[in-house]
Amino acid sequence: MIQLIFFLLVGALLLSSLFFLARRGSRAEGNAQVLVEARQALNALQVGLLPRELVARIFANDDREYVASVAPGPLYELFLSERKKVALSWVNQVHTQVLSLKRFHLGAARFYTRLSLRTEIELAWHFAALLVTCRALQCLVYVAGPFAAPRMVGTTATVAAKVCEISEKSLAFLNPVQFGPVADRSVGL
Amino acid sequence: MDVQQAREDLHRRTLSEIVRPLDRLIYLASMRDYNTGVYHHDGLASRFTEEVACEALADCHREVFHQLVVCPLEDLVDQLEAYRKSTHTGPREFLTAWRRLEPYRVAVPVETDPLGAEFLFSNFKIALAILEARLDSLPAELSA
Repeated sequence: MIQLIFFLLVGALLLSSLFFLARRGSRAEGNAQVLVEARQALNALQVGLLPRELVARIFANDDREYVASVAPGPLYELFLSERKKVALSWVNQVHTQVLSLKRFHLGAARFYTRLSLRTEIELAWHFAALLVTCRALQCLVYVAGPFAAPRMVGTTATVAAKVCEISEKSLAFLNPVQFGPVADRSVGL
Repeated sequence: MDVQQAREDLHRRTLSEIVRPLDRLIYLASMRDYNTGVYHHDGLASRFTEEVACEALADCHREVFHQLVVCPLEDLVDQLEAYRKSTHTGPREFLTAWRRLEPYRVAVPVETDPLGAEFLFSNFKIALAILEARLDSLPAELSA
């Protein structure tokens, strides 16, 4: 009987250690995943979504004026519906990528970077403002079209760029290390 | 450094002869093997290497794609019309083929940002509709 209890205890101990090991492993993997997602989100924002020229062109009023002057009627409607699709896609993608960066800052960032309290508060404010603005912009574009809120588009792009700037610093440790002139130093030795 | 030199060489010898970005996009896309995604240019490869030539062509392709994405719609319509004329294809035939086949979809560089591509495709769709409307407004004998 005592032997049985002993083996059961050893078994339970082994099982619990396996459980804790498995949990620890998955957490590490999860962290890596958050880092990868954050890096991808940052690239998507900086390269694909926020370049000033692209944003200006998607919401360009001169394109609207041009189409209105050369082809009023159904063609103008087609233009508005096409631009609305692209504009909504832009806002949705900015929202998604910002959420991904927010997840990184809420979870993994504190383990890798030491942001000052002031920067953290600033970042929290930017995230809150951005997510609310994105939702408001989505509604506005959906209801009133892509040319209804040029200022809001500008604000979204500017705040998103600031968030990217701070996130870039937080993710700087992922960049390849720039080694100094090793050869020169070894010669000096 | 080699890639930069190859790009300059490509600009000087070839791309300077092709004025419109749309024509450049189509030319550069045609340099790419559809099965492998690798660009080939014998002249450039003989002056540099296959890899450097491929890299330079890909760079120029991305650059010209970006130019088209951010160009005003009016400009795109003009470029499309000028390209159509350069192919000596009848306007109706050209517009029908482009609307049905959407050849611009295969002229996009690899690893293009999806939103940029979506935006350019949308602009092509509108530009083709504008050209068609323009054609419809012409007398029948001129639009053939």
